[in-house]
Amino acid sequence: MNSYLMFVTQAVFNVALVLAVAPLLEGIIRKVTARVQSRQGPPLWQPYFDLAKLLTKEDIESGEAPAVQRFAGYLSLAAILTVACFVPLGSQPPLAVVGDGILLIYLLTLTGVATLLAGFAAGSTYSIFGASREMITMLALEPLFAITIVMGALKTQSLDLVGILNGSAYVSNGFPWAGTLMMVVLLFALQAFVGRVPFDIAEAETEIMEGPLVEYSGPKLALFKYSQMVKLFVYCALFAALFAPWGSGLIFPLSLAVLLLKVLILVLLVTLVAATHARLRIDQALRYYATLLGVGFVALLLALLGK
Amino acid sequence: MPARQVLNLIKQRFNGVIHRVDIPEDSRLLLYTGRESVPDLCRFIFRDLDARYVISIGIDDRPYSGNFQVAHNFAFENHHVLCSLICNLPAEDPQIGSISPDVPAANWAEREFRDLLGIEPVGCPSMKRLVLPDGWPDGVHPLRKDVPWDFRPKDYDDNRIYDFDEPPEGCTVVPFGPFHPTLDEPSHFRLFVEGEIVRGCEYRGFMVHRGIEKLGDSVLTYNEIPVMAERICGICGCVHSVAYAQAVEQAASVRPTTRAEFIRTLMLELERLHSHLLWVGLANHILGFDTLFMQSFRMREPIMWLCERITGNRKTYGLCVIGGVRWDITPEIKADIIRVLDQLEKEWVKVANAVKGDRNLQKRTKGVGVADRTLVKEMGLIGPMARASGVPLDCRKDFPYAAYDKVEFDVITQEGCDVWSRVLVRVLEVFESIQIIRQCLERMPAGPIQLDLTDELPAGRIGLSSIEAPRGESHHFVVTGDDNRPRRWRVRAPTYQNLQGIPAMIKDKPLADMTIALGSIDPCFSCTDRMEIVDLRSGKVQIFSQQDLIRLVRSSGSAEQTV
Repeated sequence: MNSYLMFVTQAVFNVALVLAVAPLLEGIIRKVTARVQSRQGPPLWQPYFDLAKLLTKEDIESGEAPAVQRFAGYLSLAAILTVACFVPLGSQPPLAVVGDGILLIYLLTLTGVATLLAGFAAGSTYSIFGASREMITMLALEPLFAITIVMGALKTQSLDLVGILNGSAYVSNGFPWAGTLMMVVLLFALQAFVGRVPFDIAEAETEIMEGPLVEYSGPKLALFKYSQMVKLFVYCALFAALFAPWGSGLIFPLSLAVLLLKVLILVLLVTLVAATHARLRIDQALRYYATLLGVGFVALLLALLGK
Repeated sequence: MPARQVLNLIKQRFNGVIHRVDIPEDSRLLLYTGRESVPDLCRFIFRDLDARYVISIGIDDRPYSGNFQVAHNFAFENHHVLCSLICNLPAEDPQIGSISPDVPAANWAEREFRDLLGIEPVGCPSMKRLVLPDGWPDGVHPLRKDVPWDFRPKDYDDNRIYDFDEPPEGCTVVPFGPFHPTLDEPSHFRLFVEGEIVRGCEYRGFMVHRGIEKLGDSVLTYNEIPVMAERICGICGCVHSVAYAQAVEQAASVRPTTRAEFIRTLMLELERLHSHLLWVGLANHILGFDTLFMQSFRMREPIMWLCERITGNRKTYGLCVIGGVRWDITPEIKADIIRVLDQLEKEWVKVANAVKGDRNLQKRTKGVGVADRTLVKEMGLIGPMARASGVPLDCRKDFPYAAYDKVEFDVITQEGCDVWSRVLVRVLEVFESIQIIRQCLERMPAGPIQLDLTDELPAGRIGLSSIEAPRGESHHFVVTGDDNRPRRWRVRAPTYQNLQGIPAMIKDKPLADMTIALGSIDPCFSCTDRMEIVDLRSGKVQIFSQQDLIRLVRSSGSAEQTV
């Protein structure tokens, strides 16, 4: 009973942490981007204001299926927050007792599904375009994390998340060759996972006007924006948990500080790539994803061979 | 002599059909003919003499000669001659054989004089409305002299809907516009899309008519029009102002002072600089590369400040009067210009090198929005569009005006025919403009900046003027008149021709390339839509009234639930 309470407290802590920190990361992105572009940029806490403003705006319903749209917004944020409970943020993954690697793979897919729902429910030509692009991206990208988790499971001989998310794919812990390959692949894929330039194809403001989000405004838009910010945090943390576990064994506040530092480094990397690239076309991106996927499968083969 | 050479070429083939010839100066040729010979003559000029189609103009000349008139303008780049083929049409039967079957680029212009003057182009392949809004009553032609400039039709039909083409089988319709983040102005492309591939499109534009040409021949005076003309476009306003002034000056055979010509050249090049910098920024924004967008706008800003120092305004310079300019270049401003240009050149070298080496950018622009030489010829594409396809069209060299014959510069061309080539052309042209401005500052003679014109300008004379705007040739056609204002003033902005090339450029290409293909012509819709009086409220292509829209948007929303 006591341990149960502890897990719940930890889960609540994880959720609160990502909700509190994610907008700050967005603020850092904006500030750094602005500096690269010779601008002053908004204050670091601007994303908090933006979210607060959106959340207090009139809740207008438009599009083909407003109920589904609303649901998609909730689903998007809920799914990524649940993922946050399965990721170690300074301590063991809180909900690892109730779920394993397979569940995590499903949950990661669910955030994408929410975007699809949003796009199709809006029923606008642009949103459907965005949704179909999102679908293509999902089909090509999602296997990558799955492969890594399977690799981790192979190494630890268990689907238990505590083991997998403690650097199971880390080069010296796991399979040296497969781990290195997979780390490079995921590093190249991270930009696409978090939907930033050059891979913001599904939203592409100047082409299809934010795609799936075209009919969203006010609080519902805030849900999506929030979930995108959280997504960036969670994916970076997941990457760190899989490939860079250094410092996770430290006592609590220290381990969290180390994790935040790692996340910050990844976020800066994402920002710089976004600031120096033009958006790819979906067919060009797909070729890129296919290459990553191919290398990913090679890594999985190597892992199976124990390399 | 060049004009006479062209005339002889035409006379060798068509003897006796030319009723009258005017050669007001060496580089202008005005031919008067009967309407029965117009299509044949145009075909000969366009196909056999390989002239470039410029524009067709409808004129209501009934108060003076009792006739309608149509003028087809062509440019002979090889001979450096601008030619206008003019014919009279009887007032009771304003019909003329269409030249669009032979000269595809004339389609819009013919539909336009059909809309605005009721002159029927018989045999024109597409007869749909071009300029007038959907609800405008049939049979009312606003550019006719008997229609007052502030006329509002009583029987305007808000509910009439434009008759769009059916999409081909298997295609969905993707509306691109009337409002879209990459369009800075309203314009409507109706795209027929199969999967991610655009199979065709239909254009419905002309939503920002402001009646400028009508005002020019009914309300404004000669020296007021340049100020109005530069309001045609928010980017290349100075071009229109100078082009108009030159057309009037040519018609009236006055030549501005040499210093004024240098100042015009200098301002036109400053305008090209800030326009190209703006375009490089916007094109990169369309491609999602916002860093270059921001940097390019930052570099552009000192040029805007410079313009403000010279003229008092960042844009709308109020530069031209007939016979000169209003603002002089003082020694202090000269020093400022040199300083700003040096700084820009230094930074732009870095940009040019970065752009040339950017493989990511090339991935999105190479082989995209291809306009080959055939399309350039058929649709009369101009400016960077033509130059990026290896066709060295540049009015500054072809029909030298202002002080362009007194400065040296290169015409930048590329052979790729695609968006990438257009990027390169514009990036490199920035350096040429900087050179031109420097030469202007060095070579500008002292002297007055205006002529002292006191006598009336002669009426009924025709002036043609072509200026190389940042987007291509801006062509102005003026018929001088009484009451200190022109009888007819026709503006053909570069986008008017370049836009007609878009359907061919995006056909069978991915939807994602559509925006940059369109962006690559540097479209300027308000330039294109410069005329006609439209009630702003009802002039929108909109089947909903404002109330309908609000009701629709909120029908299932919280607004109704709280009621």
